[in-house]
Amino acid sequence: MTITTNLAEKHGGKPFSRRPATSKLETALTLAAGAAISVYGVLRRDWFGAAFAGGGGYLLYSGMSDLRRPYQGRARVAFTIAKSPQEVYDFVRNPQNWGRSLREPMFEHNDDGQVTLRLGEKHGLDFKSRVELTDEKPGEYIAWASEDQRFEHRGVVHFKKAPGDRGTEISVALEYKAPTGPITHSLASLAGLNPEQLLREGLRQIKQLMEAGEIPTTVGQPVGARGLRATAKRVLYHERPAAEMQPQRMAGD
Amino acid sequence: MKALCWQGTNKVEVERVNDPVILNPRDGIVRITRTAICGSDLHLYDGYIPTMEPGDVLGHEFMGEVVDTGREVNRVKKGDRVVVPFTIACGQCHFCKHDLWSACDNTNPNAWMMEKMYGYSGSGLFGYSHMMGGYAGGQAQFVRVPFIDVGALKVPDGLDDEQVLFLSDIFPTGYMAAENCDIKPGDVVAIWGCGPVGQFTIRSAFLLGAERVIAIDRFHERLKMARAGGAEIINYDEVEDLLAELKWMTGGRGPDACIDAVGLEAHGTGVAAAYDYAKQRMKLSFDRPTVLRQVIQACKKGGVVSIPGVYGGVLDKIPFGAAFGKGLTFRMGQTQMQKYTERLLKHVQQGDIDPSFVITHRFSLDDAPEAYRMFRDKRDQCVKVVLDPWATPKAA
Repeated sequence: MTITTNLAEKHGGKPFSRRPATSKLETALTLAAGAAISVYGVLRRDWFGAAFAGGGGYLLYSGMSDLRRPYQGRARVAFTIAKSPQEVYDFVRNPQNWGRSLREPMFEHNDDGQVTLRLGEKHGLDFKSRVELTDEKPGEYIAWASEDQRFEHRGVVHFKKAPGDRGTEISVALEYKAPTGPITHSLASLAGLNPEQLLREGLRQIKQLMEAGEIPTTVGQPVGARGLRATAKRVLYHERPAAEMQPQRMAGD
Repeated sequence: MKALCWQGTNKVEVERVNDPVILNPRDGIVRITRTAICGSDLHLYDGYIPTMEPGDVLGHEFMGEVVDTGREVNRVKKGDRVVVPFTIACGQCHFCKHDLWSACDNTNPNAWMMEKMYGYSGSGLFGYSHMMGGYAGGQAQFVRVPFIDVGALKVPDGLDDEQVLFLSDIFPTGYMAAENCDIKPGDVVAIWGCGPVGQFTIRSAFLLGAERVIAIDRFHERLKMARAGGAEIINYDEVEDLLAELKWMTGGRGPDACIDAVGLEAHGTGVAAAYDYAKQRMKLSFDRPTVLRQVIQACKKGGVVSIPGVYGGVLDKIPFGAAFGKGLTFRMGQTQMQKYTERLLKHVQQGDIDPSFVITHRFSLDDAPEAYRMFRDKRDQCVKVVLDPWATPKAA
């Protein structure tokens, strides 16, 4: 299957705005930090100084570039689900499945039929973006584009019968212009807010719900004393702090 | 409840932790009556498996009584006596439906971690690092068993815990290692490592019709146990050249199939072994593949190399030219547990084998830290340790 990289024209989405994506504050901070580090490096007049000057120079270059072009990204993820294309399409198209069952709600649906993308709720960010369905063929594909300009994104979900008895290949191709510069974008990735990661885990959850009927978890299971290092890694393993892990029901009750 | 927790390399402790609860609709809770320490637990103990964290509950060989079930559990009922396989499988995905249970798509909550390391993720495992799912294990008084309908094997009346406990891992693992050899009448099978899995591999090879089995180790008690199972034995410490010895014993042909039941912590001797050990100590490698090199070298032309021993990372100095030159077949992987449990239970019921032969030591859960040390150091002729989570400790 060809996954188009120019989704705007093919599926009715608008082209992205030409406005720079980086906030003025981030650009200003990048330029100021770049200038300061470069000056410090030059003043040191040694090999360490040369390294600092190099790093500062990169930040200056990066800040200047941000003024000229927005941060754009692409993500493509595919999964195979052991159900028919129509079943997978119906599951994905049913708004009841969006917020209720997925751990990170990717889309929300209100009574007027408006769709909103929500991200980072569990990270305390609660980012919302209105979505318009621009093109659709039942059982085959759904295309969307963002309505507002804060976080511009568009994409298409394809449903295709997999060879043999393997079920359905569901694939999502996404293009976005993040309301951040590359530095914020990297930090967001560390916190699990990278669009490709979110897309991959979202699709994985759809597969798990459709095939196994549940999303596997260890949140709330017994653990021993974690110590400092393992407590810090809880974010990585999606583990909740001990206070939230009180048993709802004791075994054998 | 009491549970044995990993606290770092060479350090395990019995701690008081919360009782497990139902977290998902297809979960069950099992009150554990018997649990065992596996050779692969020693890889965790020795600190060779990445993504283990202090506080992780250990143990993947266990059985007991079902005390609670989620709302989507139908086959298993409260009060059932069950053995739980160490691989967690959903029973619904393409892999489960094709008997590749340990490749299940839907049971590893940390699949992304394993995808980064291996390209794709296998099933979740009990008590075996966060990369493998981070599930709390069964060296404890209770355990939560996800997808209990798919995994748990109901134990018929009249069989003791110790006769069926090893259907949770080592018996099916040994059996799959032998089955992977495509044994035909007249075949000679050589098995490196006479630990618990090796012992079951020897007996499984005979169950599957092998003509002769040659077992290789250096500990007398393990070789004695192998001989009791019908194998011819080689103590590699006492022969000058192991490969020459194997050639001599097989009329110059070499074994039809060679099984590596040792894995990543092979002891080995000589310069190559010292090199592997140094690399592992410097954290440049997880694995010491001495045995893997030997099985490739020893196997006959067109033969099968079967690997039930665990490997974790990127191996080097593997004689791949020899493997290609002789046209070898490689079979390996985590055991497809659910494919074998029913079949092997029948063998136990019919009296073809009594798996409890392998047990040399019995401890309470409180004595587990000492049991780990003893098993690791192979003190007191230790081959297999079984733990009773409810017994009073010997020390008390």
